[in-house]
Amino acid sequence: MGGYGDIKLLREDGLRLDGRKIDEMRPVSIEVGILPAADGSAMVTQGLNVAVAAVYGPMEAHPRKIQRQDRAVIDVRYNMAPFSTSDRIRPGYNRRSREISKVTAEALESVVLVERFPRSKIRVEIEILAAEAGTRCAGLTAAAMALADAGIPMRDLIVGVASGKVENIVVLDLDKAEDNYGQADLPVGILPNTGEIAFLQMDGDLSPEEFDLAMEYNFKAAGEIHEIMVEALKKKYEGGEN
Amino acid sequence: MVELVPTLLRQELARLAESDSRLDGRGRFEAREITLETDCLYNAEGSAKVTMGKTIVYAGVKFEIRTPWPDRPAEGSLMCGAELRPVAHRKYEPGPPSPESIELGRVVDRGIRESGCIDMAGLCIVPGEKVWGVMIDIHVLSDGGNIFDACGLAAIAALRTAIVPAERFDVGEDYTLKVQSTPIMASFTRVGGRYVYDPSEEEELGGEERIHITIGDEGHLHSLQKGLRGVFTPAEFTEIFKVAQERCGELRTMVSNQEGN
Repeated sequence: MGGYGDIKLLREDGLRLDGRKIDEMRPVSIEVGILPAADGSAMVTQGLNVAVAAVYGPMEAHPRKIQRQDRAVIDVRYNMAPFSTSDRIRPGYNRRSREISKVTAEALESVVLVERFPRSKIRVEIEILAAEAGTRCAGLTAAAMALADAGIPMRDLIVGVASGKVENIVVLDLDKAEDNYGQADLPVGILPNTGEIAFLQMDGDLSPEEFDLAMEYNFKAAGEIHEIMVEALKKKYEGGEN
Repeated sequence: MVELVPTLLRQELARLAESDSRLDGRGRFEAREITLETDCLYNAEGSAKVTMGKTIVYAGVKFEIRTPWPDRPAEGSLMCGAELRPVAHRKYEPGPPSPESIELGRVVDRGIRESGCIDMAGLCIVPGEKVWGVMIDIHVLSDGGNIFDACGLAAIAALRTAIVPAERFDVGEDYTLKVQSTPIMASFTRVGGRYVYDPSEEEELGGEERIHITIGDEGHLHSLQKGLRGVFTPAEFTEIFKVAQERCGELRTMVSNQEGN
């Protein structure tokens, strides 16, 4: 987040380069039950991002050393497909994907009723097929939806959303240019019913006031995305298709 | 993870074979429903999604500029890889590429490479210095059986829609990659003692060896592979080769119709 002063990210009319308002998120669409081999699955598209999540389990936890006597462990893998970005990514785990996997797992363990499944493992696989900034949030939303689709008991869903700062203005849901040349990024995972926060990262530069505004935008967006999540689940389970 | 093969499944498959029927009611050489979608991945220069029954596969094409191989200074290069990531089935585990995924990628790679569908000399930018490397990455998202055919189809369909991103690399204007033919794969698995086309997940679980045949536009063979434990007779091969010829023709038409849209 360098804050490159010479790159214009806001237009004369106050709108963003892609025509969005300051507090407007990219269009989101969600579908569950898309992968027949998985116990639960979901696809989330947010702008140009495409995130797919699959859930397997609960199943036996192995290797044994990861087992917990009193609860299930959630084993998350966040992975970007080689063709998901402008320059091809070499297949395999890297430091970024390991870190995102870890904090995503911890966020999901905060909502799944893991005590119900001692000594077991729930596998969550997040695959990013197209990446244009905001994939960890789209992936987190997809993971929560896939867990719900798998029928795994949860206290609440999690909605992944991000706000940030460009040209000293707080904006909701950064796109790729804003992410590359903006001044801050604040991705969070919000429990839509309780209003609690299970996932939090940030980088860049935000004043306390800017942080408050970014959070306000995040909560507003979480409410909107939550409605889409509920609709997606209803579509599958309320006598729609299937 | 070792998959337990239910004895009951094997018995049921053998019983069905006696009346020449299959678990899902298909004929011996009948395919499941296929869908093909192209240009479906935003950041890939060429892309395709294939569904075959419960199998879902994506392929994406990326380009990079590299120095040519010393023995072929005026030719580009092609690489095709497949990933069997744990997203695709509970039987797949994280870790370095498994022998299965390497075999899959290489069989698809051979079919495309050996068909000569890509003019490698046309991928040269500066002889001895700069050539295009074409990379096809196949991502299996759901393994519902016969991922080989799904991967082969996704790979060639993605390749046939690829745009060479010359502008982004500052070496001229973007242009459509020239792909001169459409190699197609057909796979057979021995189930209940005889070969069936397009095996489902259950048929693969309770079946034996498999044969993959890739056929080009002229009906010539471009890649063959026998996988898993088992043997077959020349007469059996003759029979499935004939089926493959016919089926590959149908799928080739499907790929060109998709491009026409």
